[in-house]
Amino acid sequence: MKRTLQSGLLVLCGLGLLRISLVTDLCLRYVKESMRPLLIASGCVLVLLGVVSAILDRRGRRREHDTHGHDHSHVPRVAWLLLLPALSLLCYAPPALGAYTASRQPPRPMVQQSEFAPLAAISPLPMTLSDFTSRVQQDRARAIKGRTVLMTGIVTPHGKGGWDLTRIIINCCAADAQSVKVRVYGGPVPPANTWVTVTGVWHPAGTLGTSSAAVALDARTVKKVPRPVNGYQDALPLPTARTS
Amino acid sequence: MGSWVGMRVTGESVHAEREGLDAARAEDEGAGALPRYWPLLLVGAAVVPGTLLFLVGRWGDAPAVEAWRTVCLAVTVQALPFLLLGTALSGAINAFVPERVFRRMLPRRPLLAVPVAGVAGVVLPGCECASVPVANSLIGRGVTPAAAFAFLLSAPAINPVVLTATAIAFPGNPAMVLARLLASLATAVAMGWLWLRFGRSEWLRPAVRHTGHQAGHSRWDEFRAGFQHDFLHAGGFLVLGAMAAATFNVGVPRSVLATFTGTPWPAVLFLAALAVLLAVCSEADAFLAASLTGFPPVARLAFMVVGPMVDLKLIALQAGTFGRAFAVRFSAATFVVAVACSALIGGALL
Repeated sequence: MKRTLQSGLLVLCGLGLLRISLVTDLCLRYVKESMRPLLIASGCVLVLLGVVSAILDRRGRRREHDTHGHDHSHVPRVAWLLLLPALSLLCYAPPALGAYTASRQPPRPMVQQSEFAPLAAISPLPMTLSDFTSRVQQDRARAIKGRTVLMTGIVTPHGKGGWDLTRIIINCCAADAQSVKVRVYGGPVPPANTWVTVTGVWHPAGTLGTSSAAVALDARTVKKVPRPVNGYQDALPLPTARTS
Repeated sequence: MGSWVGMRVTGESVHAEREGLDAARAEDEGAGALPRYWPLLLVGAAVVPGTLLFLVGRWGDAPAVEAWRTVCLAVTVQALPFLLLGTALSGAINAFVPERVFRRMLPRRPLLAVPVAGVAGVVLPGCECASVPVANSLIGRGVTPAAAFAFLLSAPAINPVVLTATAIAFPGNPAMVLARLLASLATAVAMGWLWLRFGRSEWLRPAVRHTGHQAGHSRWDEFRAGFQHDFLHAGGFLVLGAMAAATFNVGVPRSVLATFTGTPWPAVLFLAALAVLLAVCSEADAFLAASLTGFPPVARLAFMVVGPMVDLKLIALQAGTFGRAFAVRFSAATFVVAVACSALIGGALL
């Protein structure tokens, strides 16, 4: 691998990292939010290293024209593989994980909870999918019964002509993705991977407050919403979705 | 073209053939001359990339391929800052730290140096990718390989960041954190001693690059050259490992997990193997282990002990840095030792 090509590769990798972390929000499709400063720093270091190398090598070549072959400059061909992520980040960034991944995973287990605070007295009540799941399966007081709730997530169709409202959650990067799902009854199936806000009441199946209760919703309204900036967290519905 | 050859062969076949060969050789040697089928090449150059791009586009948008690309890129992007940190450290050790520093820090007897190096792993925070280049430069600076390997294995598993993540993932279960610390440390030290007893230096690729500071060269120049070389080298192998990990991550549906939850022994081996294949970074694997609720705690401990020491991306990195002969033997042995240590310590503590 020639030294100029090495510098070029470093700069490309750095630019790729800077593009997804500094210029756009693309890095949130792959890693958690708190990685962003590290990615920006790495991008800067790589670009700097590449540029400095290019300048020094050019100067060095002029000075010690043909004194000796530098053994440092030998980098095996495997380094070219770095070109794939670099170019992918620069011009062909894959989308965030979605329905395909969620449909192949069992739902993430909920932490056992015995104390539940009373629900806020507003209707529809905004909730996260995890919160809804624990309320349905663990709250002995059955506070959720008859309440109209409002939740946002992506559409994951399942084989039997129905769909699940889904959120994909990551701890570190997309390789450790887990999903929370709420089955939705009523109405047509929206296209897969659409972000929607659903209002509805608990779909009565099994005993509420025990693990036999179905994590499901009888939908009243299903509305398309824009994708939130950070899609990999189980957050409350955006305020814009709540007011309508 | 066929008829042209045919005409010539019907005439004076032998002579014509020799002439043709000579002509071809002349063409090969004459660098500037265009081959006779150059219009074909031109058409090929115009058509092939377009077709390829079209096919990649069609095929690259299938949901499974998109998920694969996302996971592969996620593993790479997540690991790059840590790899950069590791290679920068390795470059700095190589260029700025004289050999006598390590000689003074580590006990002279290798048997004692191994546990000291294992405990020293606490100081390198972050993911497993950082520790491979650092261990390599340590060997280059005269640290006995056994101690460097103990450091390599323990650093990603017992640093404060990872232990804190484990404590958060298993709330109200400090025994799990303690078990992870002890089992990881035990594995690292055991592997170091095993290397002392059975390891052979010819399995290791000779460390060409880490020669330390040489008189007459600028230290900063050496640092930069080493940093750049190590990063490009390890980065290529990181991408290779990320590809393999993404293949398993996307290809193996998580619902398979349910089949192994019952009996303890298959469960331990199964989760240990899963840790190798999934290649989840050591800061996040505790959360994944916590979510595998159907499995006995010992199996989850094995998942967290094996994960930072042996996984596809690490095997690729080690093969690139130390050579394939080393990576295969070392990873296999580490897997066995790690499973044994987590079974023993997990059985006692959990």
